[in-house]
Amino acid sequence: MRKEIVRPYPLLPVCAVYFFLFLIGKNIPGMWQLVAMLLFYCAMGQAFNIFLGMTGYVDFGYVAFMGVGTYGMALAITHLAHIEGFGMGIIVVGFALALLMSTLLSVAVGAVALRLRGAYFAIATIGVNEGFRFLIEGAKIWNGSEGLIFTAQLNQILGRESASALMTYWADIMVLAIGALAAVVTLYYMRSKIGYALTALREDEDAAKVMGINVTKYKILAFITSACFAGLVGAASWALKTPYVFPPEVFEIHYTIEAIIIVLLGGAGTLLGPVVGGLIYGISKYYLSIFMPGFQLLIFAPIIILIIILFPEGVVGMLKKRVKDPIPAKFIV
Amino acid sequence: MLLEQLTGNLFQGLVLGAVYGMATMGLSLIFGVLKVVNVGHGAFIMVGAFVTLWLFGALGINPIFAVPVAFGVGIGLGFLFYYTTIQKLIKAPELATLLATFSIGILLEELVKLIFGSEFRGFNWVVGKIDMGVTVLPMSKLYACIGSVIIAILLYLWFNKTRAGSAVRSVVEDSEGARVCGVNVGRAYALSFALGIGITVASGVLLTMFIPVGINPYMGGVYTLKAFVIAVLGGLSSPYGAFFGGLAFGLIENGSYTLFALIPGVEPFALTRFLSFVMLLVILLIKPTGLLSKK
Repeated sequence: MRKEIVRPYPLLPVCAVYFFLFLIGKNIPGMWQLVAMLLFYCAMGQAFNIFLGMTGYVDFGYVAFMGVGTYGMALAITHLAHIEGFGMGIIVVGFALALLMSTLLSVAVGAVALRLRGAYFAIATIGVNEGFRFLIEGAKIWNGSEGLIFTAQLNQILGRESASALMTYWADIMVLAIGALAAVVTLYYMRSKIGYALTALREDEDAAKVMGINVTKYKILAFITSACFAGLVGAASWALKTPYVFPPEVFEIHYTIEAIIIVLLGGAGTLLGPVVGGLIYGISKYYLSIFMPGFQLLIFAPIIILIIILFPEGVVGMLKKRVKDPIPAKFIV
Repeated sequence: MLLEQLTGNLFQGLVLGAVYGMATMGLSLIFGVLKVVNVGHGAFIMVGAFVTLWLFGALGINPIFAVPVAFGVGIGLGFLFYYTTIQKLIKAPELATLLATFSIGILLEELVKLIFGSEFRGFNWVVGKIDMGVTVLPMSKLYACIGSVIIAILLYLWFNKTRAGSAVRSVVEDSEGARVCGVNVGRAYALSFALGIGITVASGVLLTMFIPVGINPYMGGVYTLKAFVIAVLGGLSSPYGAFFGGLAFGLIENGSYTLFALIPGVEPFALTRFLSFVMLLVILLIKPTGLLSKK
């Protein structure tokens, strides 16, 4: 078998963006909050892009994976806090649990919903986050609607100093790492058989099937990968940054919408797209919330409609078409 | 005692179900004709509720007369969004229309929030109660139920007895064939979209009879989910299927609430909403064309 060589050039711009964000946040006082938000949006976009961008399926219940990831971390910390000498290990267990729970949920949802196509898929997923939220609240699982608060446990395990360092600094670094990892996985998928299969499936699912591609397998693979990264983003960005979890907050559909906007803005199915989209969305949201608080959605809704009608390929998609010179084209993927 | 309570609640469910059914007919009509899923469906119901609130609360106009006003508002919104957005996306991949209708929903919510604010409001239309034997029903709810049935019948007549209705039906059967026979397909699309939105906004008026203090710019989300369950029950592309799906959903919702309330230590209201989501998945899995469809 011929070994496939994945050339890492296209990762360069992504890494450069993350590196500059880090530098700006570290060196300019007062910027870390904005940088943390941008890192969150980029990572969420990267995670979502693996499924939405590569398959063209819309999952409206995407935030549920971030929600269960948050619960994974929260449960690990609340239940293992009384064991002595765990230390930082508890964070690792938390991430593992987040990964496990988002995988399980994505397998369960994917097994049902991925049998459906197009509009039917979107309809099936529109209730996933609400459904899961009402299950937790209704059956009073994991403390029901009262949620889990674990600031005290975090302080107890790590000590007050390092717990606050974790919340304000290391959690964001973890989000950065997750985003970068998602970019690597995206590039690997794009350059391997998986990517070609997904492209074929996005263009014409029936034709792909006829050509002998096991579309279900690749769809589920992309779905689970995307959900895992979402779970990790939830665990790092929500559970560790703000050590509490309430069902209505972590299953809020607006995060799904934000992720969709980011992916579309940057260019669905491109490697660089989610980062570009995340930066544009994050920066404009940040400044809109300063200058015109409460009007972000009113401004964004017509913008999404305009993007869909006028620039369906997004910023990176357009660049890809325009740039013909082979050397810069290597980096715009 | 329990049986009495159950039959009473089921009766209430049937009355509410008729309104649910009508609130879903617009969604099914639009999907049936244009193959567009209106993900912003609930926002149009919310617009209807605010039309009622404004007419009744500020001007003192009887909510019955709010129905035609809301219908007119809906027709206007429908044509507006069809010609500005949907028309340009009808040939685009599904992703485009899903996101566009979703954004339209958000736009409406934010506009209403801008005008009316985001606090919960409500009004009380007191027109007496009626004893139906199994349960006591406020007259306002009975009017809403009757109104829904009348609107469903009117839609049926429009489809089957008018020229425009036949044109729309021919487009559903075969849009190319209809075009060849001289049907203006673009106009049939526009008309169906506007009509679908019109019915949806009008249904918002009738739904306010059931939520005395629940009117809020973000109230629509719940109804979007419910409407999808109902539409899928009825086959997604058939407005009449949707009406009967609504009746079934009303029964299931109220029946399951009564039964969940018997289980100690749970929140029955949250569980009924979880159940509706499970129903959605199960129906889509076993019979995506709907339980009530012949295919």
